[in-house]
Amino acid sequence: MKRIIYIALAFVLTSSLQAQVDRSVQPKPGPAPVVNIGKPQEFELPNGLKVLVVENHKLPRVTFTLALDNKPNVEGDIKGVDDLTSSMMGNGTSAISKDDFNEQLDFYGSSVRFSVNNIGGSSLSKYFPQTLSLAAKGALDPLFTQEELDSERAKLLDALKADEKSTKAIANRVRSVLIYGKNHPSGEYLSEESINKVTLDNIKSYYKTYFVPEKAYLVIVGDITFADAKKLVTESFSSWAKAPSPVSQYTEPVNLVKTEIDFVDVPNAVQSEISVNNVVNLKMTDPDYFAAMLANYILGGSSDSYLFMNLREGHGWTYGSYSNLSGGKYTSDFRAYAAVRNAVTDSAVVEMLNEVKRIRTEVPTEDALRLAKAKFIGSFVMNAEKPQTIASFALREKTQSLPADFYENYIKNIEAVTLEQVQAAARKHVTNEAARIVIAGKASDVLPGLEKIGLPINYFDKYGNPVEKPQAKEVSADVSVKSILEKYIKAIGGEVVLKEIKSLMVTSKAQIQGQELTLVKKETADGKSSQNITMMGMTVLKSVYDGKTGYAEIQGQRKDMTEDDLAELKYSAVFPELLMTNSNSIQLAGIESINNSDAYKLVDGDISFYYDVNTGLKVAEAVKKEVSEGQSIDQIGYYSDYREISGVKIPYKSTLNVGVEVELNVVDIKINEGVSDADFQ
Amino acid sequence: MKKIFSVLGLLFISGAVAVAQHIDYDEYTLDNGLHVILQQDNSAPVVTTAVMYHVGAKDENPERTGFAHFFEHLLFEGTENIARGQWDKIMAANGGTGNANTTDDRTYYYETFPSNNLELALWMESERMFHPVINQIGVDTQREVVKEEKRARMDNAPYGRLWEVIKSNLFTKHPYRWAPIGSMEHLNAATLDEFKEFFKNFYMPSNAVLVIAGDFDKEQTKKWVNEYFGSIPSISRPEKTKYVEDPITTQINATAEDPNIQLPMLLNAYRTPSMKERDARVLDMISSILSDGKSSRLYKRLVDKDKLALEAASFNLSEEDYSAYIIYAIPMTGKTLAEVQTVIDEEIAKVCTELISEREFQKIQNQYENSAVSQNATSEGIAHNLASYYLLYGDTKLINTEIDIYRSITREEIRSVAQKYLQPNQRVVIDYVPQK
Repeated sequence: MKRIIYIALAFVLTSSLQAQVDRSVQPKPGPAPVVNIGKPQEFELPNGLKVLVVENHKLPRVTFTLALDNKPNVEGDIKGVDDLTSSMMGNGTSAISKDDFNEQLDFYGSSVRFSVNNIGGSSLSKYFPQTLSLAAKGALDPLFTQEELDSERAKLLDALKADEKSTKAIANRVRSVLIYGKNHPSGEYLSEESINKVTLDNIKSYYKTYFVPEKAYLVIVGDITFADAKKLVTESFSSWAKAPSPVSQYTEPVNLVKTEIDFVDVPNAVQSEISVNNVVNLKMTDPDYFAAMLANYILGGSSDSYLFMNLREGHGWTYGSYSNLSGGKYTSDFRAYAAVRNAVTDSAVVEMLNEVKRIRTEVPTEDALRLAKAKFIGSFVMNAEKPQTIASFALREKTQSLPADFYENYIKNIEAVTLEQVQAAARKHVTNEAARIVIAGKASDVLPGLEKIGLPINYFDKYGNPVEKPQAKEVSADVSVKSILEKYIKAIGGEVVLKEIKSLMVTSKAQIQGQELTLVKKETADGKSSQNITMMGMTVLKSVYDGKTGYAEIQGQRKDMTEDDLAELKYSAVFPELLMTNSNSIQLAGIESINNSDAYKLVDGDISFYYDVNTGLKVAEAVKKEVSEGQSIDQIGYYSDYREISGVKIPYKSTLNVGVEVELNVVDIKINEGVSDADFQ
Repeated sequence: MKKIFSVLGLLFISGAVAVAQHIDYDEYTLDNGLHVILQQDNSAPVVTTAVMYHVGAKDENPERTGFAHFFEHLLFEGTENIARGQWDKIMAANGGTGNANTTDDRTYYYETFPSNNLELALWMESERMFHPVINQIGVDTQREVVKEEKRARMDNAPYGRLWEVIKSNLFTKHPYRWAPIGSMEHLNAATLDEFKEFFKNFYMPSNAVLVIAGDFDKEQTKKWVNEYFGSIPSISRPEKTKYVEDPITTQINATAEDPNIQLPMLLNAYRTPSMKERDARVLDMISSILSDGKSSRLYKRLVDKDKLALEAASFNLSEEDYSAYIIYAIPMTGKTLAEVQTVIDEEIAKVCTELISEREFQKIQNQYENSAVSQNATSEGIAHNLASYYLLYGDTKLINTEIDIYRSITREEIRSVAQKYLQPNQRVVIDYVPQK
């Protein structure tokens, strides 16, 4: 009995204790916390290297960053020299081979990354002396060899090539060129020509000029004493020869006077890349810095922001639309951007301008500002515990000339921003009235709509050079599907000759990532085809089509063709055009530019064929592929280098882009031999 | 290779955790059985609140697989005091981030806030434990979400079936034989009452641990914990059933097909002891010797030197009842699974018969120490490790002592453990190939 009373008593006690908390009410946050950011101790080497040490013994590890605060520089006709020099650093020294250098870093469990303007890494504190010493050797005595240059150059060229037809890459390049000009560090761009121009001497002299200690900061954070850090740095970096930070001169850009559209025609584009831009001069020390950051967040910083809610949630025109605005000591830019499908390009431009106007003219809601502040503060607090953040704060205080309490007061200053200040900052740093709207897209689809907006439109090529307005090519009245096909048939040899050809076996070779690939393609006049791809003597892909069904074999794994696969083989034959002349599902879709020449486009479902307007030759074929829900791209292959064999012209070169550009060159052609029914089983 | 093993999904490699700095914490148990661990670190104003429930896929009815993971989704739907759809908004509006995940052994919920929102986090997690709303609308919504997740992460993802294939071949009696994502048929067939029942059976305070790691005031926090969690009724927790597998004595060969891949993958899997055993940790070290870093044996041999494989790696996936030691490789175009297997066999045989060199041994030690430091570098990492050590290993102290176990492992032990568990007749060999 007594026991029950105790339990009852305990129950009462507990419930009375818990009566204090009302679960139906969401707890309110306590006062905003003060972030305890490590403060650096400092010293300077005679060569000018400034060293900041943040002692933080919480974890037995040390992180370091060597940052060069040189003013951005113009690389000029050897643009790419910075990238190449960077990628060649950290690959050994005059005394340590590349393999040994990497093995040693591995052994300590350390990681270090190198570039001309920034070197950084981390290690256990007990291996920090060895790690910093290796990093210093790699930085101060890099091994620059022609062999390494050639291999890094090849990689850089490959990366450039992969982007050659990318609408996004074109849009970004033209945007920078137009905002900053080609002779500005932010406006100049990589080209095959400039990369190829870089010599080993250029690399050595670039390194010598730009890798200098005058404006260099070495930030060391973690489990190390100031005294030890000073000793290690002095040992490792005193040999760095004193040299002044290079002088750099260029003209800063200014804003337009009135909003304009700058258009780049990208004939293969299925989406338009749109950006609404203006030049920004906003320093982190400006009184409206935080207000400007919050304004940008409300406009386009998240999936709750104006741009996203309108373009994606409201209209479903894009996967996402956002905006960027940042502060710093150099001139930068604001942009609101989206990639939208061709048909809605003009509407999207109008809505994006509307949203930019809205952030300038409408006071945001209390809620929107509260959420924006919470996001900034939350992510600030959450990251402040990372040593890398402490390092970047300390560094930024120096290089951006911030007051010493900038980050201590960060939260307080964000919380103090008012709705009116947000609007005022937006009015100052963002414009819809003098905006440069850069659009890369398919002119024939999107220009008519854009012209209706009523803004002036200027035209540029994919490197930002002014060009004439792309003219929609009119197909003359006497051209038809039939005439195009007939012209092609005539151009490659004529119907009589073509009909003599019952089978064709073409062997081509290509180089992919240093490996040779061989393609043997067999086709018959009655619509059978097979392809066999081998690498190093092994079959990697085989596909067979007997005119009705087919299969593909990838590395010995067989997969039957689907309806979609078969649809693509509709016009499978030695010369499909002989079949196509009798088809009534083919449409003439106008004239498009293929490798800078006009070509007629014939379309049947998802397949397209392109015939040169002048020569009549087939210059390309494309298949529409769905890449994701509602989004498709044309996978296009180009034909060139037609040569005559037995009275027929056959393209000896075909080029296709499968992420990388693949160029297939014909090495052998057999007509009416080498092909049997067994090839199609 | 991280990419592919993110699709192994829903399963964490939490065994290889070691600690190189001393972490102080308090632990106590509320009257209702909820275990509480407080790890105070006021060096940054950030605090992680986490609850780990001792329920995972292995606690499921074989006719209702996928329940544990489904619950993880369901418990974001709302509670008696948090309206449907508000969970994420409350978190974002208060500067927080959070998530949850489910493995075979446990379900883990966590959120990290600036430290002035600790009370909010405690309120949210206590609401979830006390009275989540489990209704038809939530079940229907989350069923679709989980199906999308399965499509995205398993059905539609290259190598997405790996985990399921390994488990179904490695286990025959133990519930480890199915994957946490479970069967969509089972989820379709389940009634609302069954879901409510599952909650009642597993989501009680005594089957969970609450961890608070970061910047807080201890007394205030204990008071809040008591206020928000103390009133949740006490129910005794379920007994765990013990399943014992017969040892594998003859190599098992299997083939699995994946429609999303072009390049086949070779998989070797061995059934190894529980994460709690010393041998599991020795196997962790063996996996480092074989595939940690560019100078590791399998990588160097298969990828770098012989150029037989595009990728190759191994790891010991530690779990509560058994672990799985897995080796995988994707042969280069033109190379066969058999060629790759030959090299793997050679390298495994070497670890079984020869002592590793002193320098290699030191390198592994360095790597372990380094990763141990990183594992406990954030409040989120510490919270997760404390929860796992208490709930799964049954020893919270391991957060400070596990590194000593790794340090005490000798070169001879590495060889003998390899010999004991990594014999060809103990393994499953799976040809994971493109679907025909």
